[in-house]
Amino acid sequence: MRHPTDGVLRRLVDEPVGVADADREHVAACPVCLTSLASARADAAAVGAALRSDSLADPVTDIDVDAAWARLTAAQSRSTAVRAPARRRRWGAALRRPAVAALGFAVVVTGAGVAAANDWLPIFATEEIEPIAISTDLDLSAVPDLTDYGTLEVTGAEEPAPVADEAAAEELTGLDAPEVATLPDGVSGQPQYMAIGEVAATFTFSAERAEQAAAEAGEELPPVPPGLDGAQVRLTAGPGLAAVWAGDSGVPALVVARAVAPAAFASGADFEQLRDYLLSLPGLPEEVAAQLRSFSPDASTLPLPVPAEYATSTPTEVDGEDATLLASRDGFLAAVVWVEDGVVTAVAGSLSEGEVLSIASGLR
Amino acid sequence: MTATAPVGRGLRTTREDGVVAVSTARDAVRDDLGEVFRRDYRRVVAVAGRVLGSRDECEDVAQEVFLAFGRSAVPADEASGWLTVAAVHTALNHIRSGRRRASREESAAVSDAAVRPTISPDVADVVVTAEERSRVRAALGALPHKQAAALVLRHSGLSYAEVATALSMSPGSVGTTVRRAESALRKELTRHASSD
Repeated sequence: MRHPTDGVLRRLVDEPVGVADADREHVAACPVCLTSLASARADAAAVGAALRSDSLADPVTDIDVDAAWARLTAAQSRSTAVRAPARRRRWGAALRRPAVAALGFAVVVTGAGVAAANDWLPIFATEEIEPIAISTDLDLSAVPDLTDYGTLEVTGAEEPAPVADEAAAEELTGLDAPEVATLPDGVSGQPQYMAIGEVAATFTFSAERAEQAAAEAGEELPPVPPGLDGAQVRLTAGPGLAAVWAGDSGVPALVVARAVAPAAFASGADFEQLRDYLLSLPGLPEEVAAQLRSFSPDASTLPLPVPAEYATSTPTEVDGEDATLLASRDGFLAAVVWVEDGVVTAVAGSLSEGEVLSIASGLR
Repeated sequence: MTATAPVGRGLRTTREDGVVAVSTARDAVRDDLGEVFRRDYRRVVAVAGRVLGSRDECEDVAQEVFLAFGRSAVPADEASGWLTVAAVHTALNHIRSGRRRASREESAAVSDAAVRPTISPDVADVVVTAEERSRVRAALGALPHKQAAALVLRHSGLSYAEVATALSMSPGSVGTTVRRAESALRKELTRHASSD
């Protein structure tokens, strides 16, 4: 067999139960692996010892916890009057998710222009964003994949591409790039501008495929309302642009993004009927379905899913517009998103909530 | 937001339409903060101590972490892990952001300790001087954040699975990432040892 990877050998050093029997047996009989294992063990021991602080035993026993508590409570009362000190921390990938949700959302946005040229009936134009808290406890893998129920054609879904400068981003998207008045502490230099064209997705419902998918899942398909077979829904998004100030750990320090807000169009069926039917399909958690259904009574509120385990959302205002403030639950990442005249703008980064709000209200 | 009801220990706000959102109100401090603080403060300082050399700085990190924790709605049974992960990230960022105070006490302690090598109780044959420690910490600050975080979390006692969850990595890649970080730091130690 092949030699196990360095990662497997490393785990053998201090968590051997996590290594497969076959790998363990191989290593025990393989001189090459035994040598690598010995060097992994030596490195781990040397680094472990170097990381162990001589002045700080674990746990630190001679620390005055009462004094530390007094300091914390004093800091807390200060921070209710004045915002907590500006933080510029990165939480790594685990907490990129809320930021990605907001950024991805902000980047994947749309123009109504294309649809006007077709016989599509506009059914939705974003005027507001409403966060919905989703729990990762929900079995989201059970949410039906729409491609099981018809065909999904996506056009223009390239990644946002870097462009030379602000002028190039504006020319490509036809949008005004927001200007940041004052960069927050710790963010400096010139941003990288990104741009993305319009993204469109057209879903064509197929009763036959839906029936097949349900049968495969051992579920009974709810009766298909007449006229729904072949009905189409088109969602458009973009163009959008963003200015990205790099951070030093992969998470951008600051992103200011703007894009034409999403819109949806239907052809051949009543959109609400199709949507409600899709939402009633087996497998979709009722909680998610009910939340989705409750949005867009006026077909203008875009639901923004927020994973409740990782992020919080609070209603706020930016220059008098209703806005949504998102924050990772440890306070390391924050974002604010709002819609004005069919254009969505987002400010996000490894910043405090106060910082993103202050940047947002200072945009020119 | 219409009604606020404490659910468990976190603060949750239930709206009329049944959407549950977690409160971020700044004046809402979780009611188990004192209890968790007394239980975990020393440990959090020690976790920061794997990254930072100075006691004062580690306490600063612990204070920041508990301030954030007090405003969070992290479930009580996840508090310990959350605090460990937050302490590591915060301490690493202290190194990186250049906010690290070059405190006189620390440099004094380093030069003092440099002349008396310490023997680590667990690994009797590994002798590390304070100077080497401070070199390793500097090298830690130069590693990619994820590598450094995985390394310190593992050395703080998180299992491979826990490290994977905390950093959104696949469990299989934790070993590789930790190994890579250790190899880089060991080189740093050896490089200086041979040039001495």
